[in-house]
Amino acid sequence: MRILIVEDEPDLLASLAQALREEGYAVDTADNGDDGLFNAEGTDYDAIVLDVMLPGLDGWEILKQLRKTKKTPVLMLTARDQTRDRVRGLDTGADDYVVKPFDLEEIFARLRAIIRRSANKTTNVIAIGEVKIDTAARTILLKEKSVEITAREYALVEFLALHRGEVVTRTQLYEHLFDENESSLSNLLDVHVSNVRKKLGAEFIATRRGHGYCIE
Amino acid sequence: MIPKSIKWRLQLWYGLILVVVLAGFGFTAYQLERGRQLGRIDDELHRRFDVLAKAVHGPPGQRGEPRFNRPPPDQLPEDGPPGLDFNPPQQFNLPPQAANLFDANSADQFYFIIQGRGKNEIARSENVPRAEMGFNHFFEQENHLDNPPKPAPAEDFKDERVIFRSLPSGETILIGCSIVPELNELKATALKLTLVGGIILFFGLAGGGWLVSRALRPIENISAAAIKISAGDLSQRINSAEAESELGQLAAVLNATFARLEAAFAQQKQFASDAAHELRTPVTVILTQTQTALNREREPASYKQTLEACQRAAQRMRKLIESLLALARLDAGQEVLKRLRFDFAKTVDDSIALVEPIAAEHGVKIFTELESLEINGDSERLAQVVTNLLSNAIQYNRADGEVRVKLKLENGLAILTVADSGHGIANADLPRVFERFYRADKSRTGAGNTGLGLSICQAIVTAHGGTIEVSSEENVGTTFTVRLPI
Repeated sequence: MRILIVEDEPDLLASLAQALREEGYAVDTADNGDDGLFNAEGTDYDAIVLDVMLPGLDGWEILKQLRKTKKTPVLMLTARDQTRDRVRGLDTGADDYVVKPFDLEEIFARLRAIIRRSANKTTNVIAIGEVKIDTAARTILLKEKSVEITAREYALVEFLALHRGEVVTRTQLYEHLFDENESSLSNLLDVHVSNVRKKLGAEFIATRRGHGYCIE
Repeated sequence: MIPKSIKWRLQLWYGLILVVVLAGFGFTAYQLERGRQLGRIDDELHRRFDVLAKAVHGPPGQRGEPRFNRPPPDQLPEDGPPGLDFNPPQQFNLPPQAANLFDANSADQFYFIIQGRGKNEIARSENVPRAEMGFNHFFEQENHLDNPPKPAPAEDFKDERVIFRSLPSGETILIGCSIVPELNELKATALKLTLVGGIILFFGLAGGGWLVSRALRPIENISAAAIKISAGDLSQRINSAEAESELGQLAAVLNATFARLEAAFAQQKQFASDAAHELRTPVTVILTQTQTALNREREPASYKQTLEACQRAAQRMRKLIESLLALARLDAGQEVLKRLRFDFAKTVDDSIALVEPIAAEHGVKIFTELESLEINGDSERLAQVVTNLLSNAIQYNRADGEVRVKLKLENGLAILTVADSGHGIANADLPRVFERFYRADKSRTGAGNTGLGLSICQAIVTAHGGTIEVSSEENVGTTFTVRLPI
């Protein structure tokens, strides 16, 4: 899962990015409105964390521009907690709204929720055959037994599971699993796929030669 | 029992007045009508009395010789009243012109009874309404020989109008008539008067009520609006349609007051909300920094970073809280300003020395043109103003820019100008730079920038009885001018 954070307070931006990376997300950051919009329009993020008060374009403006081209789920951060601000945010096209100061846990949960909703899933457990993926706990069960899995491998499984039945291209996977700072070593993805197959069974992820990967 | 409502008191009062006036008027009218009716009847009665008196005494010339046809002796009534009178009862013949007046078929039925000297009845007309009717029904006392104009008739004869008079010759003549039609007419008149009075009273009360309601409507509006305002809805205004009336003017004054109240409240609310808003971001930083750090074991260097970020956030909050408190004190007038004479030029010089290192860091040069002058005030607070203006002038300047500081005496005012050569402030932002938390530059990254600096400057200068103004030209620079009474 790849996420963009647009926030102008450097200490807040840094800790949010770190926390989300540690949660297994690939995170890009922008500290002003113009960069934020540029990134948001150029990449298919799984979600965007967007502050309202920004130098340059403000959060409302970014959201308005972005909604012309993309449906990326957006979580607004704001210090304003008046109802009219919240209504405005949701009406402009925000998927959720968090008022500062917030707890990290709440940000995590709301991000999971908007990502899940955008993939048309209503619960946080995805069951595929004998494999169960708990997107809240970020764990995978095989035949009701917990499977040791790295954050990156989990992200790969979750992304494919959320797009179950679709063929996901390697480019898409790179876009969603790695942020802009990670060099996209072409075989890194193959290594992750291979590790997942070892842990969950060779048939769990099917290869569509020339197209990409797929969970049936 | 008197109602509390002004409306009902007024209604009650003029209702009462109206009733008294109408009743007085109606009673007078009724009495006049009654007098007129009875006077007419009395005239008729007197006319008939004269005729009858003449008939009893015979035509002039035969005066004193009653014209009674003595009945033949065989016709003498044997059961007549006992003959106190020496004149025996006589047959009385009504002369024809008099008979007309007592015609039983005419509309007005007049009747008569004639009594002889000895109280014996000598004649009565055929149309005397009741057989038992006699003098005793009208006399209050026996031998009443005067002319009582209005004897008190017995209860049974209230409907009769009667006069009687004794003639010099001793006979007494009673003439009467029924006044039932007149009484009925009077009753109708009374009814009419009551009806007209009632209608006038009704319209009087209704019209008065309407007028009073109309006059008092502004008061109702005022109280309705005041109730809503006291309940917390400050946006309420009095609906003052009749601005011409005295109450309309009052409503206008109250509306203006409410508007000022609302503005003051809104400003306070905005200030509190802005203050909370400004505090939220540093709190968020501390929360996310610490929560991230605590999520797992970290290197010491990472903890150090976290602590530094938390410290920055806390410093920012401290600065903000200090500014907020300073403003709140200045607002409430609690900040006691020292009132001492001091050399303002020296204060400005000291402030410049204070910011010199920052200016050097930004590559900004400061030029001064200071006239030595003494003013009355709080040197510490005014130094704060100068430092603040200088910091802004340096911070928002271009690299290698300059700041010009001038102090001079003009028209009894100390005039300090701080001009920078920065990019200036957009015209749209210019009127708002002294607003609390207003930042022409939306970026919040400048940790020292609370958005309150210029508000505090303004509050301090105002507390000294001075003014602060700003003018700016984009890409040329911004000039702040402070005028202080010396």
